[in-house]
Parts: sequence; structure tokens; C-alpha cells
Amino acid sequence: MIPHDILTLYSAKMIEYGIAIVFLLLFIPFWKYVQGPSAAAVPAHPRVRQPATTGADWFPIPLGLLFHRGHAWARPEPDGLVTVGLDGFAAKLVGPFAAVALPQVGTAIGQGERAWRLVAGDGRAVEMLSPLDGTIAEINADLARTPDAAHVDPYGRGWLFRVRPQRFRANSTNLLSGATARRWMDEAVAGLQRTLSPELGALAQDGGLPLTGMARVIEPDHWDTLARTHLLTEDKEEANA
Amino acid sequence: MTSTTARALPSGGWVTDKIFLGLPFAGYLKSLATPGNFAAGLIMAVGIPVIVYRFAYGLGASTNLSQTNPWGIWIGFDMLAGVALAAGGYTIATSVYIFGLKEYHPIVRPAILTGFLGYLFAVLGLCADLGRPWNLPVPLFISWGGPSVMFEIAWCVVLYLTVLGLEFLPPVFEWLGWKKALVLATKATIGLTIVGLMLSTLHQSSLGGLFLMAPTKLHPLWYSPFIPAYFFISSIAAGLSMVIVESGLSHRAFKNRIDHHVNLDKLVVGLARGASIVLFAYFFLKLQGVVDGGRWALLATGYGYWFLVEILGFALLPSLVFAYAARRAKVTLIRWTAAWTVLGIIVNRLNVSVIALNWNSPDRYIPNWMEVMVSITLVTLGISAFRWIVNRMPVLNEHELSGIRGS
Repeated sequence: MIPHDILTLYSAKMIEYGIAIVFLLLFIPFWKYVQGPSAAAVPAHPRVRQPATTGADWFPIPLGLLFHRGHAWARPEPDGLVTVGLDGFAAKLVGPFAAVALPQVGTAIGQGERAWRLVAGDGRAVEMLSPLDGTIAEINADLARTPDAAHVDPYGRGWLFRVRPQRFRANSTNLLSGATARRWMDEAVAGLQRTLSPELGALAQDGGLPLTGMARVIEPDHWDTLARTHLLTEDKEEANA
Repeated sequence: MTSTTARALPSGGWVTDKIFLGLPFAGYLKSLATPGNFAAGLIMAVGIPVIVYRFAYGLGASTNLSQTNPWGIWIGFDMLAGVALAAGGYTIATSVYIFGLKEYHPIVRPAILTGFLGYLFAVLGLCADLGRPWNLPVPLFISWGGPSVMFEIAWCVVLYLTVLGLEFLPPVFEWLGWKKALVLATKATIGLTIVGLMLSTLHQSSLGGLFLMAPTKLHPLWYSPFIPAYFFISSIAAGLSMVIVESGLSHRAFKNRIDHHVNLDKLVVGLARGASIVLFAYFFLKLQGVVDGGRWALLATGYGYWFLVEILGFALLPSLVFAYAARRAKVTLIRWTAAWTVLGIIVNRLNVSVIALNWNSPDRYIPNWMEVMVSITLVTLGISAFRWIVNRMPVLNEHELSGIRGS
């Protein structure tokens, strides 16, 4: 036992009880403070009510497509190639397009790496991520003449290119389909709603399709930055359009 | 390119798909040439021969341990700190499966994997520390020492490591595509979580209980009859903080694999709330230990100042910062505070087992470079194993087994 000349056993016990009481008295306000409403729980725009429709209602998930979280889709074809396009969310977020800058045939692309650019009417461009590894086998030449096809019909004639896959089975473990993809799309739309203006929120409640060029409606001056955030290409400087 | 049936995915064989990430072997080897792998390889190139040297020539040749200081950083850092920081497995699994906090389900798998690897490499560190590790089965199976705390810890850690391994089976079976086994393993989850919680409660506290046997060796400010409770309670804060740190790093390193529909920031805020409350209570319990032993006078010594740094700087301060950051949803601040708390737990375990142990002995222990190298190597091996598994198995996201991807 360490000798001490100030405290007796009784006074030590008194201090112990004192600390216990102080702890309990402090714990109550501390608990309330910690459990209090956080900024994350408070909606950025209280006026925006929950939408009547979900993200997957706005942007349906077509059967047979695998989705990358950067809002691109991939579809394995009978000939062994994989067709790639952008999804309805990306189309409505950035479109209409003045141009779609595609990689050349023979270019190697990697899953999660920047592969093509969407160029808007004001000349600003947003890059998008490839959903798989492989080599470009064919590009959609029609997009050079009618780039807005990727905006109007992203799952049909607006396809971007076909890829000779390098390891598609392994790549597909990072892609989404079915209910998982619908849940992800719901969250993608909810993420956009957290940043949007009350005007677009009102549109959402109407149950109608979202505006074309949503990013420009939400952030007129920095729409490209907003778009990159949602297309997961925000951490790299914009390539020259 | 061979033709395939409609919608079928091109396959390169089981080993290519499952082990080499779909790449041909040469391509896979080429993909390993990254700066991170180079650094890990460099550490292992030095560390593994050192481990071999330790087993070939013994503790005397490879460590600064002695009869006076038989426990070094392999016990203080690898075992005590490693086990505390691996507590995320039982804290998160218990929160989700026992307390019903289902929103934390997306972080159960990484937490259990971190726990499993933490325990595995803690046991490997222990094997390096034991003079004759090949005799480990003796206390476990042959010559039981029922009254010994060490006996309880040995059995508890072995059993819990097994439980963690079983708890991690669902992602392994998903990876292998074994649907029936997956169903069975998933059904066992609740039972395994209960057993895991019981075992963790036992050995997290028993690791502190070891020091009840050393009242004359451990500095009075750290020695307390409450030390088992200190170890257990601080392990909860350690586990929560480690999960916050691990999830932040994983979401940077494995951007392609994360489930983006999960609002991780919200979960991190919740974990910070928990860690804040636990650390707040832990700080007051530490104060009680000082009062109970009548140690006030010792606070004004060198060891006393270091003790104050530990309880004020590494317990009270992170508790308050966690509270502030959670209330304001400052996720970056929460992550830094969690890293600070992890450091604080390591400091606490090293204080108890190395720095404040034999504090009045003239023979002070300072680890030599080989001891430090072995510890760094074990941590590197743990991180590499984590990366290897996460790159292959559904740990950061859960997939549907059926559907377009096939099995």
C-alpha cells in the first residue's frame, strides 16, 4: 500500500462516492448532448417532403444489365463482347449532350477508371468510369452525328461501345443487378435530393420524370462539379473538353 | 475469344476467377506491382527472416527480454493491444444481432474480419513470444491449470478465434458459391454471436486480470483491483474506434467494392456516439481507481504525469471530441479521433504491460530492432490478408447468389 498522509479511509470513500455522484450528474447532460440531433439527421431543405416515387421508379433498372456505381451499364453479348452505356440517371443528370468523347478502338480500359466524357452544350465535360476491364472492340459511330441519343435512349441506340472483356466474371462481382441495383438507384436519387433545390423537390412529388440537365438546375454555376460527385469522378481535375 | 451462350459470362476457370481475380497468371503477377505491395514485400523480406532467426536461435538471441522483464512488445503490442483492437467483431455483432441495431449490418462483415485477423496475428505474436510454442497444446489439452488466469485466457482465445472463423464463413461460402452451406452458416449467426460475446467478456477482462498477480511489479497508478473492468470497458471503445478507422480506410482503398447505397457517414456518427459514452464512463472509473488506492500523491511524479496524459489525453479528450463531432456530424473529425483513441489503447496496454511494469527495477526493458521488426511484419501480414480477402470475397458488400451473375 502506498503511504499517504492526507486521506483517511473514510475520506477516500467519501471521494469515491463523490466522484460517482458527479459522474452521474454529468452523465445525464452528456448523454443528452451526445444523443442530440446531429446535422446529418436534419434534412438540408426541410421544405422538401419525401417523394411519392422512388429512384428506381424514375430510372427503371432494365433486365439483363449490370450496373456500375459510376452510373454505367454493361451487357454481356452472345458473341463474347460486352456492350457498355450510361444509365438513365447519368443521362438526366448531365444531358443533353453536345458530344460524347469515346475512346478509340483498341484502347485498353479498366474497371473504375475514367473511360469517356460527356460534353454538354456549354462546353464543359464530365468523365465517367468504365464498368469493366478490357479493350474497346467497337464504338457507336452514330453518336458522332447524334450524340444526344445517349441522353434520349441510353439503354438502346445510345449505347457507347463494345468491349472485349479481360476478366468479366471477376468484374461482375463489383456490378449490381436486380433488387440490389434498384436499392442502389433509390439511394443515388436520395443522395441527389439531399443537395437539390426545393423546386426540383416539388417536381419529384408530382411523380413525373426528373428534369433534363438536373445538375444544371441544382447548381447552375458548378453543375459539372456536382455531376462528378454523383458519377464518382470528383477527385480528379477535369480533362480539357 | 470463344463464343458463349447468351448472357453467360466468360470464365477462365476456378483458380483464375477466384484466386487471380480473372486475370491470367502472368497478368495477375503484373497487377501486383504496386507501391503498396512493394512496401509490404520489403517489410516481409526483412521481417520473415527475423522470425525464422527467432525460432532458430531463441528469445535470448533475438530479443531484449530477460528474467526481470519477461514480457515485451510482443505481449504488450501484439497480444494485449491486438486483442483489444480486434474487439470490433464482438461489439458490432452484438449490437446488430443481440441488440437489434440492424442499420449497422453493413459493417458487421468487415468488423468480424478485422476481429478474426486481429486475433489470428495476436496469437502468432504470442507464438513468437513463447519460449517453446510447440508446447502450446500442453496447457490446453494435457496439463490443465484450472486456477490460473492464463489457463482461462488460453482456452478463451482459442475458442473465440474459432468462433470468429465460423462467424466469417457466410462470405466465404458466398465467394465459393456454396448455397446450402451458406444457409447453414447464416442460421448459426445468432448462436455464434452469443458465444462470442461471452468469450470476449471473459478474456478481454482476464487479460487485465493477469496483472492482479503483479501488485508489486505494476506501478500503483496502473495497478487496481478494477483492472479487469478497465480492460473490458476500454476494449469496447477500442473496437468501435477500430471499426471507424477500418471503414474509412476500406472505403478509400476499395472504392469499387463498397456498397454505395449504405450511408456510412451516418453509421460512423452512431459509432462515435457509442465510443464517446464508453470513454466518458471509462475515464471516471479510472479516477475511482486512483482514489480507491489513495494514489493522489503519485500524480505529481514523472509516472503520474504520464498517467494523466493517458487518462486525460487518450480517454477524456477523445470522449469529448467524439461527442462534439457526433453531434455536429463531423465525420472527418470522428475518424481522426478514432485513430487517436486507437493510439491511446495501444499506449494503455503498453503502459500496463511494459512501461509501468517493473517500474522500480533498475533493469529497464527497451525492445531491440528485431522485436520491433517482427511486430511490424505481423501487422503488415494482417493488412495484406485483409486486402487479399476483401478483393475476393463479399465483405464490403453483399451479393445475391442467384441472378444474372450465376453462382
